[in-house]
Amino acid sequence: MSGRIAVPVFPGTNSEDETVRLLRDCGGDAELVHWSAPERLAEYDAYVLSGGFAYEDRIRAGAIAAHDRIMDFVIEAAAAGKLVFGICNGAQILLEAGLVPGTGPIRRPTAAFATNLPEAHFVCRHVYLKLAVEPARCAMTAALPPNALVPAWAAHAEGRLAATPAHLDEIAAGRHVAFVYAHANGRVDDDAVPNGSALRCAGLVNRAGNVLAVMPHPERDGWNFNHLERCVGDDVLAPSGGATLFRSFVQAVAQS
Amino acid sequence: MVESVALRDDELQRIVERLGREPSVVELHAFDAQWSEHCSYKSTRHHLKRLPVSGAGVVLGPGEDAGALHLGTHAGQAYAVVVAHESHNHPSQIVPFEGAATGVGGIVRDVLCMGAEVIAVADPLRLGRVERAGAHARHVAQGVVDGIAAYANAIGVPNLAGDAYFEEGFDENCLVNVVALGLVKENELIHSYAPKGAEDWAIVLVGKATDPSGFGGASFSSLALDATAAQASKGAVQVPDPFLKSVLMRASYRVFALLRERKVSAAFKDLGAGGIMGCSAEITAHGGYGAQIDLDRVNVAVERMAPEVIAVGETQERLLWVLPPEIAGEVVRIYNEEFTLPEVAYNARATIVGRVTAEPRYVMRYRGKTVMDVESEFLAGSIRDELPYTEVIRHTTAVEELPAIDVETLLPRVLAHRDVASREPLYRRYDAVVRGATVLPRGAADAGVLAPIPGSRLGVALAVAGNPRYGRIDPGYAAEHAVVEAMRRVVAIGARPIGLTNCLNFGNPRKPEQYGAFVAAVDGLARAATELDLPFVSGNVSLYNESVAGAAIPASAIVACIGALDDVAQCVTPGLKQAGSALLWIGSRELAAGGSVLAELLGSDGNLPAISYGGERAAVGIVHDSIVRGVLRSCRAVSDGGMLTALARLAFDAMLRGRSVGAEIDFGNPLCETGGFICEVSDESEIDLTGALQIGRTIAGTELIVNGARFEIARLHEIWSRPLAGIYP
Amino acid sequence: MRRAVSITLGIPDNEAYTALVALRRLGVEVGRVERSDVYLFEDRGDAEALERRIVGDETIFNPNKHRLTLLEAPAPRAGEVWIESSSSRSARDDAGRIATAWRLFDERGEPVSRGVIEAASERLLCNPAIDRAVIGGSDADRDIPSGAE
Repeated sequence: MSGRIAVPVFPGTNSEDETVRLLRDCGGDAELVHWSAPERLAEYDAYVLSGGFAYEDRIRAGAIAAHDRIMDFVIEAAAAGKLVFGICNGAQILLEAGLVPGTGPIRRPTAAFATNLPEAHFVCRHVYLKLAVEPARCAMTAALPPNALVPAWAAHAEGRLAATPAHLDEIAAGRHVAFVYAHANGRVDDDAVPNGSALRCAGLVNRAGNVLAVMPHPERDGWNFNHLERCVGDDVLAPSGGATLFRSFVQAVAQS
Repeated sequence: MVESVALRDDELQRIVERLGREPSVVELHAFDAQWSEHCSYKSTRHHLKRLPVSGAGVVLGPGEDAGALHLGTHAGQAYAVVVAHESHNHPSQIVPFEGAATGVGGIVRDVLCMGAEVIAVADPLRLGRVERAGAHARHVAQGVVDGIAAYANAIGVPNLAGDAYFEEGFDENCLVNVVALGLVKENELIHSYAPKGAEDWAIVLVGKATDPSGFGGASFSSLALDATAAQASKGAVQVPDPFLKSVLMRASYRVFALLRERKVSAAFKDLGAGGIMGCSAEITAHGGYGAQIDLDRVNVAVERMAPEVIAVGETQERLLWVLPPEIAGEVVRIYNEEFTLPEVAYNARATIVGRVTAEPRYVMRYRGKTVMDVESEFLAGSIRDELPYTEVIRHTTAVEELPAIDVETLLPRVLAHRDVASREPLYRRYDAVVRGATVLPRGAADAGVLAPIPGSRLGVALAVAGNPRYGRIDPGYAAEHAVVEAMRRVVAIGARPIGLTNCLNFGNPRKPEQYGAFVAAVDGLARAATELDLPFVSGNVSLYNESVAGAAIPASAIVACIGALDDVAQCVTPGLKQAGSALLWIGSRELAAGGSVLAELLGSDGNLPAISYGGERAAVGIVHDSIVRGVLRSCRAVSDGGMLTALARLAFDAMLRGRSVGAEIDFGNPLCETGGFICEVSDESEIDLTGALQIGRTIAGTELIVNGARFEIARLHEIWSRPLAGIYP
Repeated sequence: MRRAVSITLGIPDNEAYTALVALRRLGVEVGRVERSDVYLFEDRGDAEALERRIVGDETIFNPNKHRLTLLEAPAPRAGEVWIESSSSRSARDDAGRIATAWRLFDERGEPVSRGVIEAASERLLCNPAIDRAVIGGSDADRDIPSGAE
């Protein structure tokens, strides 16, 4: 029996449908759980926090959602070792909840996804995530090859990893940077980074490797029709591209 | 009399005669809103009747909040694309961020209330001169883009198409047009009027608590902008709340599902100009009913609001249902409890505010008193103003022979021109890919494309057009060009055009020459759409667009074209593909430079290029045929900046994708904007060359060679990319 | 001299409402929340000229939607916290913005106590990884913001 995946919906979440669709197309047993019935979350084996603007990113992206009742369940699940995967706004919420990098107390963030630089506004740009840790460091990336490249769309205004120098050292030394930004050919440099992120970080993982937070959206480049020029096989409706990360996640859920 | 009312004396006289008494204050404001140009289209409706609105693909023509076009059939189910197109010009000039954001909010509700899932927006913008730091036009240009981004990004609707022109004529009156697309199963479309058997059904108001913001909005947008109006309009600043809208949309999708499960019909309508009164009067009157509304039941944001403010105020983020009583309670519960509206925004909720009555009278009660009691049809029926206009004489200066041009100097100047330069600094603030259905995002090609139905290969394409440089020369001909250009853009990515929308942005209808420009534009739209056999399924008119001194804006008939793809795999992907292809110019190639960027740079005048509809139809056929045969490698429609700009952009897209492909061409004046398509085809002998001209070939390398002049593609790309980055840093 | 100016929305502030609901849900007792942007300007002693300059330059102020207050001192008032972010850098920051000010009032409309402000900052308004909270109300704790990173 493969594990059941919950995709919680906060007020303001906006990427829930395509996230569930790609999880299912990758073999996952995923469904939405609405904010008015958070107690249902206890029944699930893994969680995907999808993109959007929970509480319209008011105060700071993720700040209010981190205190939502949904997060009481997610925090408990993460502590119990269940898999938690956050994308974009989901990543911001996990950070504000203190689950990534996970180097401080719960709901006392030790880092921030701060306003992008140098373009201090929402930026929608195609990017590549490059796996920056050995695949097994995080259960959800274990099925990816080393240095895997995952195509995705960065679409956020607050995605720049920022922290004090001491905290950044801790993040680097603890191998919390799961993904960095790269070019299509795998080269990593500042031009590949859409938001000025410290350590060129595109994704964070916690110490135990069961909470992963990535800023760009793999699910928006998740099917052949999203990238006709990079079509894999001849079925335009088949999952590909960003779906590799989703497959690896679904596989980890099945094994957990 | 109430001083904020814009009704004319003769209109007041009609009201007094019909009622047999003086109107109450609420009634006065109700007629003021309902009979404003904004709501009634009183001086335009009879002209708009000339537009073609029917055809095999039309699921719903103009008349309701949005129109609908047949997209295709998937798994035995027919799907329609719902389309709406509006302007939010005057509010955006005064509070650019909020004005543009509420423009998006309004158009999204127009699509939502047809029972559709909102799948895309587009934003044709006409902005003023932005070069000077500190200029108001620059703040407007920046605020408008930020407002559109903030709203559409937050609700999770991708921006699929749009354009931007920067002209002096828009310095004091910008144009913010917005288009929205929705997807609905054709048998699940919800109408904006109470259905048969709706007597005693519940009228349910949903959304934000009514507040004094937006009071006087309907008549405000029907007055020309001046300092006094801007001052008086402070109460009319409409406050956007995309967070609430995001929840309202999802809650409404849940209600649509409930209606399907229970197999009950209902009516759903957006609250726009005229507020609760306008919406409830129209939704009932258009079904042949009356309504009784209890204003005390309306959820309000502040105490002690006057009944006329509750009745006609234009608070954003509200919709109205007409529902069978047995289901109304459940719908209210979905909004208030399952989707917790009251926690999302102050006192937001769904509330039963009245009922549908068989007697066709519109009645409002407040604190136990009847404050309004009029015949529904008199209030919500159509009124007509026949205004005099000056016929526009078609612009016919002698064709000016253009001097032989120096491509080497002029191409970089054309590419750096404000109307040609890359729009990426602007549109990269827009989420183009949310919903995961995007095939060609905004800016990637001439049209944006989605695969909107999960599990289906059906695609929908969207493009907009409307060139103000043309509008300044000839309003009618510019309107024709707008239709043709929007259509070409959709064709260039491989889609079949299926229908159109328009927004007619013009000056003061009480000035005969400005009204004449409007009339000429309607004729132009009608002619082009008829010739190309494309129906208009929705549209909007915005009048009184003029400067403080009373000068009209450049005539602006803005058109959106919707296209369908049976298989998104047939989409033409961006950029030149390989060396050795033939480059063909298909379609119109007349050497007229009037209204072009080139003409502006050379300071020359001239006629607009002629349109040959036979030639257009043939060109569309050739492009389509070459896609089906699989010989078309890349394609762009020729528009601002001419054929050479279109070719340069194909070369840029190749370069950005790591392909080292350039081109070598030879053509007299490659910067004329006469239209047609530039196509890269694999083997020219495969297609019927009637109407096509081979102008050159693609070559290996990084150069564009034009009539012997050599350009590094990377350098041209830099020149083209830079200009707008300073305005949108 | 340096003059602090607070610019507040004159139209309803959705963000302040959401902050109010969220703070109450966290058990912080607040009756009303007001949010402003705080800017620091050189005013050469002529406050009226400064005001005209700000109103005339639309970068940060639109008279149709904003209210402007010249503050007596460049420091938060009672019941107010300034969140100074070391990270944001927008056009508005370049125009001299130094903080977001949150002003909290109790049910009776009085500024809340220092304890309430502290709780609100710590639990919601401030991310200590990038922000600094400067709390108003008591001279000893006043902190003149530098405005620099």
